[in-house]
Amino acid sequence: MDMHMLHATRRDSEAVIPTIAARTMTRDQLILRLTDVAGSPLIHSGLRALTDYLGASHYMLARCDLLQESGLDFVMSSDWPFDLVRRLASDLVSTYVRTTEFEKCLMLFQPSFSVLPDDVTLPEGSSRQYCSLTFNVGRTRLSLMLLYRDGFILSPERLREVGLLTGYFASFGHCVEGKGERSFELTDRELECLFWIAEGKTSDEIAMILGISRNTINNYITSVMRKTATKTRSEAIAFAVRNNLV
Amino acid sequence: MKYAPDRSTVSRELKMTRVHRISSRSDLFPRLVAMQKLMDAQNFAIYRVAGSGLPSRLHLVCELENWGPGNLTASKSIVDAYGEDMLEHIEKSLLPLMWNGIDDDRTAEAIDFTQFTQRLKSKMLPCAGVAFPVRLGTVGNGFVVFTANFIDLTSELIIDLHGRSCQIMMDLLSLDERRSSAVESLSEREIACLQLAGDGRISEEIAEKLGLSVHTVNAYLGSATIKLDSVNRIQAIAKSIRLGYIS
Repeated sequence: MDMHMLHATRRDSEAVIPTIAARTMTRDQLILRLTDVAGSPLIHSGLRALTDYLGASHYMLARCDLLQESGLDFVMSSDWPFDLVRRLASDLVSTYVRTTEFEKCLMLFQPSFSVLPDDVTLPEGSSRQYCSLTFNVGRTRLSLMLLYRDGFILSPERLREVGLLTGYFASFGHCVEGKGERSFELTDRELECLFWIAEGKTSDEIAMILGISRNTINNYITSVMRKTATKTRSEAIAFAVRNNLV
Repeated sequence: MKYAPDRSTVSRELKMTRVHRISSRSDLFPRLVAMQKLMDAQNFAIYRVAGSGLPSRLHLVCELENWGPGNLTASKSIVDAYGEDMLEHIEKSLLPLMWNGIDDDRTAEAIDFTQFTQRLKSKMLPCAGVAFPVRLGTVGNGFVVFTANFIDLTSELIIDLHGRSCQIMMDLLSLDERRSSAVESLSEREIACLQLAGDGRISEEIAEKLGLSVHTVNAYLGSATIKLDSVNRIQAIAKSIRLGYIS
């Protein structure tokens, strides 16, 4: 990812939108280009091809699950100007927490358009609007964000195709691991306890269900709260539900 | 405090982007039949992932199908043959799944798209098939499945059908949502208390933050627990996150 960042910074200094030679790329040509690079650990060439197919100028693929953490780890690949990404990071978080999980579930692959803040410098000729759509690969929610030339209209059909193909492309491992590993810092027993607590069971009841002592259950839960940095049982369960652990 | 601001504007935007709301499950049938015709398949079925928690507790439930009364075992035989593979697949990938049937001429093909489809074990079922995984988020995930004697798909058709499958799973989820919202809905105060409790605040802290007494906070949490058909506040918090009342 560091390499992408450097790449993005360099582009920033040029601050020009790449000429879109491939604007008339057909779907077949796109599929061929994607097939060539599928499975490679560097996903930027696939994203470039998808962006060209759409006629957009810059792409960013972000992991929504890492948005709320500090830093720019949420960016999986991007050729947006670096300063723009950094400036936008906090805005993205606040937009993200404003919708509920349920609403997010009903927005799969639905493109939405947002306006960039006034104080950012855009690549020359770029629209102040950007387009984003979200989808899930396994337990990870991803967001594809696109910049395009001012006055250009993105085709809704192609947007839908590009969303889905980006999802296919991101399904080739490499990209969405990490979160999975993190959730397994919790042991099976701890997850099992969390599951039953979320179902409204008390420590005594769980002890009965699992056939182990109540103190052991409480130890598991204390350990969960330590690992997830949560203060109360309620918060630990909320954490588990939010992160799809139960 | 994340619970209050802008919820109304968000839901209004949401409605604008989703114009054609459906009123019952039967509205989905014509759309599924149209997809089935497009790819020359014999049958369709929708499976959703049910159960939560440990992988061993998850299973597929058939929500809609057109196998008809003469073929009650069809739905079960797919789950028996491929259920585990499908559950494992949807945990990590969005690629469509395809499988060949028992007879050699029962095949499912996608010549120009092999890289972007995954094969399940052949010769497990009489018919060939394709399954489109749809992962919406914490709820409503599943597969739209089509079976046929012979399937030959182009990349164009796969993308089209998968896109429509996503729309169908969203519509199915929004139907469920409306059914459950018919149940008594939570008040602003109840939601506020739940949100803060889920953020790790104890009743005293919530009371101070909202300018209420501790007893009132506990009463709100109690009534929310009842409305959510839960036995205690922890279960109520878990449910309200899943239902989207709090974040």
